[in-house]
Amino acid sequence: MSDTPAPSGDSQDPEELQFHYTSSDAPRPEQETENAHAKDTTRIPDVIEALRKEFGASVLEVERYANEDTVYVEKERIREICRFLKNELDFEYFADLGGIDNFKDEDRYEVFYNIVSMERQKRIRLKVRVDEEDMRVPSVTKIYRAANWNEREAYDMFGFEFVDHPDPRRMYMPEDFDYHPLRKEFPQLGVPGSLPLPPQTPDGELTMDPFAAARGSEPVKSYEEPPVEQDDD
Amino acid sequence: MAEKPQFPGHDLGDQFRFWPKHNEAIYERLESKHTWVEEQQRAAGGDGELPLTEAEDDPLENEMILNMGPQHPATHGVLRCVLKIDGETVEKAVLDIGYLHRGIEKLAEHKTYQEFMPYTDRMDYLSPYSNNVAWCLAVEKLADIEVPDRAQWIRMIMSELARISSHCLWLGTGAMDAGAMSVFLWTFQEREEIYAIMDEVAGARFTVSHSRIGGVASDLSPRSIEMIRDFVASFPEKVDGWEYLLNRNRIWMERLKDVGRITKEEAIDRGLTGPSLRGSGVPYDIRRFEPYLKYDEVDFTIPVREEGDSLARYYLRLEEMRQSIRIIEQCLDRMTEGPIRADDAKEAYPSKEEVYYSMEGMIHDFMYTDVGTVPPKGAHSYHAIESPKGELGFYLTSDGTGRPWRVRINAPSFSNLQGLEYLLEGDLVSDAVINISSMDPVMGESDK
Repeated sequence: MSDTPAPSGDSQDPEELQFHYTSSDAPRPEQETENAHAKDTTRIPDVIEALRKEFGASVLEVERYANEDTVYVEKERIREICRFLKNELDFEYFADLGGIDNFKDEDRYEVFYNIVSMERQKRIRLKVRVDEEDMRVPSVTKIYRAANWNEREAYDMFGFEFVDHPDPRRMYMPEDFDYHPLRKEFPQLGVPGSLPLPPQTPDGELTMDPFAAARGSEPVKSYEEPPVEQDDD
Repeated sequence: MAEKPQFPGHDLGDQFRFWPKHNEAIYERLESKHTWVEEQQRAAGGDGELPLTEAEDDPLENEMILNMGPQHPATHGVLRCVLKIDGETVEKAVLDIGYLHRGIEKLAEHKTYQEFMPYTDRMDYLSPYSNNVAWCLAVEKLADIEVPDRAQWIRMIMSELARISSHCLWLGTGAMDAGAMSVFLWTFQEREEIYAIMDEVAGARFTVSHSRIGGVASDLSPRSIEMIRDFVASFPEKVDGWEYLLNRNRIWMERLKDVGRITKEEAIDRGLTGPSLRGSGVPYDIRRFEPYLKYDEVDFTIPVREEGDSLARYYLRLEEMRQSIRIIEQCLDRMTEGPIRADDAKEAYPSKEEVYYSMEGMIHDFMYTDVGTVPPKGAHSYHAIESPKGELGFYLTSDGTGRPWRVRINAPSFSNLQGLEYLLEGDLVSDAVINISSMDPVMGESDK
């Protein structure tokens, strides 16, 4: 096997011809960032302009990092804004939704929406701020049905209450679970004993996970041990 | 032993029920759910009158609830489908996922960026290299790290090999779900060759963790380039062979045709991604939509089919494998010599030579392991790649330390499974397995 590429002289198929081209039709617009990974799709001044015109002060602020525009909007109007984006601005593909816990006193949580317009070749990120006191967020499942599972996941992980969600169940954790694991106060190791495990035998009892069982039955008292050294010899 | 813990399952005396609230909620959902057809009729009619679906007059007792999974060989992992079936037809379907939930989004918050890499191997464990690349690119975007050209070419070659490997597995198990055994053995033979290449390149066959933030771990050896060239030369013939066999097989064709059909509008609405979306006629591929690495410099086509059924997705994935071969060929030809990692101690690990033979190298190595890459405070960015299953994106938020503040994984299998719930409804029970396999879900990824 030679290391040099064999010239494909014998192949007549035009598909096999070796040529290289740049697939994008239009020349790339000037990027304002040095970031080598920045994309043109996330830069959306005209969409933001349209949103500002339609919703005025409900568009709170716009942030940019690595050529990505993030639009903060009012929580109460997220549904109207999504409907406007879908119907008027062709943002028809719902890519992602999730929560962020900023762990601060005011507006502790954020929910972000990642929506794509294939026609415009653009991607928009909306964000709403959610206060700890009022975890209600209007559900956008009526507009983007793909948001269904994502909202369930955000509820499961952070405890948002998505108003008018058709199926408000947890996504990953069982319904018997009482916590919201992605909140910052939730310990990484989990809460011992928060979920029982199946019995060891068909007729047996539900069991605890060993960590919890160890804590529950024999409290760890490191200061008491070892009082006497047992010597078998 | 301390006294018996109070569990919710104990309210029914000695009758054992594990996670009772959970199962109750699933069955409740199964009853209250409006099927896709009902939703459509309601939207069209507008009178809110729902058709009779309850088992009020069901003298033959046709209706039953079937629990498929979580341990079922055809479900490609621990996927649980609760199906309400009327005779042979699936009336409603509720999927229950989370049996493989390890909370890796939470785990990531306690790791440095580089430390999280092995966890990405275990997301989509059928194509680990793609996940590594996705993670690295996301971190590099967040921390503004430029990657040398050669590393980008290597990443491209390897992630296309990962795509082939994933599609090989899909084809083999898909054919096995339809009742054909031999295809499985052939595709796994090819997968074995890709494992061998991965072994030569990364030192591990399966969970490779070869990509690094700021580059890759090691350069391709002459032997591995030879192996990749051999593979590229021999593989198209194999695909042709499989296609020749399967396309003339009436059982295969008839089991796939018209099964799991989803229209273009529905596919977008349901948020399908990857081959499932392109099989319905939507030319959405991140490699074109937001070109990363060098995908805007190589020549390849994005296969798109209009039919939207399982057969279309089968044709499409076969074509994608051929396109991957084309990409790899071009990468091999155009790959430049040069460094494989960024030459900056705050962006990437130093090479082993530096670590062993210079004091600074060793300090840098230690510091990178301890602190690692530190993106600016408050920075947040999203980067997606086209993994074999679809759009795999990481949305990272930084708090100005070496550990991410929040990692959000946009997993393609998660999106596709959501669509699968609607795909199953109205089809036959016997086609449920075909539907699942044609969506190609990986539970490690969807369950995070």
